[in-house]
Amino acid sequence: MRGSALAIAVQLSGLVLAPLLPGVIQTIKARLQGRVGTSPLQPYRDLRRLWGKRSVAPHDSTYVYRLAPSLSAAALAGAVLVAPIGASTIGWLGSDMLVLIGLLALARFSTAAAAWDPGGGFSLMGAGRDLMFSVFAEPLLLLAFVLVAVGSHSTDLVQMAAAAGDLHVATLPAHWCAALAFGLVVLVETGRQPIDNPDTHLELTMVHEGPLLEYAGRDLAMLQWAAAARHWLMLVLAVNFFVPMPATVPLNLLTLAVGVAGLCALVALVETSLAKMRILRVPVLLGAGVAICMIGLASWIAQGVP
Amino acid sequence: MTAPAWLLIIGTVATCGGIVVSAVPQSMRIGLAIQALGVALIGVAGGMVVVGDGSVGSQFSNGFGPTVGVDPLSGFFVASIALVSTPALIYARGYLSESHHAPAIAVTTGVFVLALVGVVVARDAVTFLIMWELMSVAPAVAILLVSRSAETCRAVLIYLGSTHLAGVGVWLSMLTLTHLGAFTDPHSFAAQPMVAQSLLAGAAIVGFGTKAGLMPLHSWLPRAHPAAPSQVSAVMSGMMIKVALYGLVRMLFEWLAPLPAWVAPVLLGVAALSCVAGVLYALMQHELKRLLAFHSVENVGIISLGLAAALLAASAGQRQLAALAFAAAMLHTLNHALFKSLLFLCAGSFQKQVGKLDLDRLGGLLRTMPLTGASFLVGSMAIAGVPPFNGFASEWLTLQALVQLALHGNPTGTALGALGAAALAATAALAVYCFVKVVGLVLLGPHRQKAVASSHEVPPSMTAPVVVLAALCLAIGVAPGVVLGQMGHLSPFGALPASAVGSTLAMPGSGVFAPVALAVFVVLCTAVLQLARRKAGTTAPSPMWICGQVPDGRLAWTSAGFTKSLLLVLTVVLRPRRTVSVELDGVLVHSVVHESEVPHLFDELLFRPVLGRVLAASRGLRRTQSGSLRAYLTYLLVTLIVVLVVVRVGVG
Repeated sequence: MRGSALAIAVQLSGLVLAPLLPGVIQTIKARLQGRVGTSPLQPYRDLRRLWGKRSVAPHDSTYVYRLAPSLSAAALAGAVLVAPIGASTIGWLGSDMLVLIGLLALARFSTAAAAWDPGGGFSLMGAGRDLMFSVFAEPLLLLAFVLVAVGSHSTDLVQMAAAAGDLHVATLPAHWCAALAFGLVVLVETGRQPIDNPDTHLELTMVHEGPLLEYAGRDLAMLQWAAAARHWLMLVLAVNFFVPMPATVPLNLLTLAVGVAGLCALVALVETSLAKMRILRVPVLLGAGVAICMIGLASWIAQGVP
Repeated sequence: MTAPAWLLIIGTVATCGGIVVSAVPQSMRIGLAIQALGVALIGVAGGMVVVGDGSVGSQFSNGFGPTVGVDPLSGFFVASIALVSTPALIYARGYLSESHHAPAIAVTTGVFVLALVGVVVARDAVTFLIMWELMSVAPAVAILLVSRSAETCRAVLIYLGSTHLAGVGVWLSMLTLTHLGAFTDPHSFAAQPMVAQSLLAGAAIVGFGTKAGLMPLHSWLPRAHPAAPSQVSAVMSGMMIKVALYGLVRMLFEWLAPLPAWVAPVLLGVAALSCVAGVLYALMQHELKRLLAFHSVENVGIISLGLAAALLAASAGQRQLAALAFAAAMLHTLNHALFKSLLFLCAGSFQKQVGKLDLDRLGGLLRTMPLTGASFLVGSMAIAGVPPFNGFASEWLTLQALVQLALHGNPTGTALGALGAAALAATAALAVYCFVKVVGLVLLGPHRQKAVASSHEVPPSMTAPVVVLAALCLAIGVAPGVVLGQMGHLSPFGALPASAVGSTLAMPGSGVFAPVALAVFVVLCTAVLQLARRKAGTTAPSPMWICGQVPDGRLAWTSAGFTKSLLLVLTVVLRPRRTVSVELDGVLVHSVVHESEVPHLFDELLFRPVLGRVLAASRGLRRTQSGSLRAYLTYLLVTLIVVLVVVRVGVG
């Protein structure tokens, strides 16, 4: 249903529903830790509160600082609209997996460059760490994508999602390796424990939150929405790639909702049971992910590259 | 004669005229303008040949007479040279205004550009080699005109030495091919024994690869490029190394076909090493032009990844994929030429205003030099491979070619394609890291010295070229299909599929990449959000948050600080050196000196030992040059006797 009205509606709804995911994760996490926690709708309340406030710009900052929140939100919105829901996409923004990598890089570039503009040490510490992670996470993401594409022989996200419906791929070791690697990518890109702690407000330990330090008001709202959109993008892709999707639309959407909710619970569980790693150990974890991908690739080659 | 031929002749004559005029100090600016016009005409001729798909002038010949001609591949490189050189020559009008030896540098720049054109239009080995040598020597002259410090002389010596030692590979391969008649007869190479084929291919890769700056043969590049005047650096980094790749393309795809099987995997390995290690060392640099030079190594690696993918696909019989990979390599050649010359020209403007380009001593140039700064920002985003700029378009194509190779190839193709793609992804992430650092340290934040605070925008003759180059970076990024559509004639594998050359790019086995729609969406979305942001009221000024302390310039982050976390992770690979010396005055600490550097391991472990041997051997040879007349007469006599004996006895 490429380009149909329903597809457009479903994909646009991602822009609205994205903040729900971090909210749900926080709620489940609180329950797992024996707290009552906040409502899953808390991110919306935060966004509304921030939207009513004035923005702040440090002395001597330029348009790079002022443009960064809008630009990263725009890049993430583009990414959300490129990622298919089930087998549907609005189409005209493209549907290629490598485009997603580019859009994520655009968001990363703009926020990290903006961290240099006020020149504060804490923002730069976070930005530098985020970029250091990306050096290892980007090849991992690409290799995971390649292994997922083994099922469909195509880098078209719609076809990759459709191939997951074919139970044949579940018999491929490459696909399982891809699932493991993609799980790591989800943790890096969304900035969850054990890679990063989204709840921290200690400047010295921030990674993804670091470059957001100087922002306030609508700027901060856009950046927080972008972080939520990253959750949406990664979890929806994970369900698309690794959960067989029924063909009919209502069932399709239901599977997606259940799948995303399940993954949220899984992220919350991981976050509750694992402490944050030392920052310099993270590349080792990501390197292990690359090794898993290599094993997957080797198994696929051993099967004779169908 | 056809229109392109006339344009070529008129353009060359005009450029030569411009060179003569610019030799006179009073008319140097006019001379440079005439040079720029002439080069632009030559470029138009090249473009017409590419679009019209007709060759001009002679075909390749095995003779020794001077012959020139332009076919679509040459035309593409001629047009690229003009796209880079015309802005560089116009820029030189302002840049050279106060420098010493300005007319001589202007003349050298013109000769250098003509030599580049000469290499790609040469149609016989002798013309090719003459132009090749001229192309190598001209920048060395330009570098020595700017400075004759011991460091510069050493850089020039290493540049000339290493390119000429490796130039043996170029001479050997070109002259052997002439001897075999391989320029006209495609089967003559295949008829040779396997060992000869491998030796010839090896000589070509070493020869052209050194000049292109492929690792581990790149040692000269980060020394020579920063030392040259900026417009020469721009053309060197933008096009000279690409002209070497042109030679490599001719060798690998035309004259040496079918290649020995080891060539494509080796090229892919060398390319992956060049791009990852090139950008990694770039990240650890603290001087802007040296950093940019290391990025040239990276980008040559990316182009070579595309070429290697084309060779692998062709050997597996996938002609369409080979055509795609080849087009990706060519598009990245053009793109890198544009954004790298843009960055070098901007660096020249900064240098003119500030003096030195030490990254930790700049800062805030976007506020004092808005036009140059904005263009530099565009160039940085383009080289970092961020959409919607041109670097992303060609990196997308190259990645796509490698991934397709992995998905559809034979087992070798799968393994190599996936490894190449992973290397390219790491490179892209490192390039973002590096250029965030550069943008931050050069353009943003507080001014880090007085000279930066008092800098101001350079004259229009220096801003116009960079603005035009920035616009081209954006234009090709938004509509890469327009350029790709003209590239069908360049490759020996036929045209690209129609779906890959329109406003959206797609090929069998890939999804849709819609650069126009994406650019429009991102720009519109950003604009709407900016409007919404303004609606909330005026932005409140505030000091930056550093836990309530007063901001202090000494706490500013440095180039080394920003990359420290990666350096710590990769300590095993990069082996940084760090010395802290504490000077005590009795029991009081008098001073603490901290020094750290990331040594260039290729220099230390590979280049220096080889250089040491070569120099030792030369010292041995120097003994034969005693300067005494009797010794030389003896050499003559011995040579004569040997020749007579050889003639009498006969060889072979």
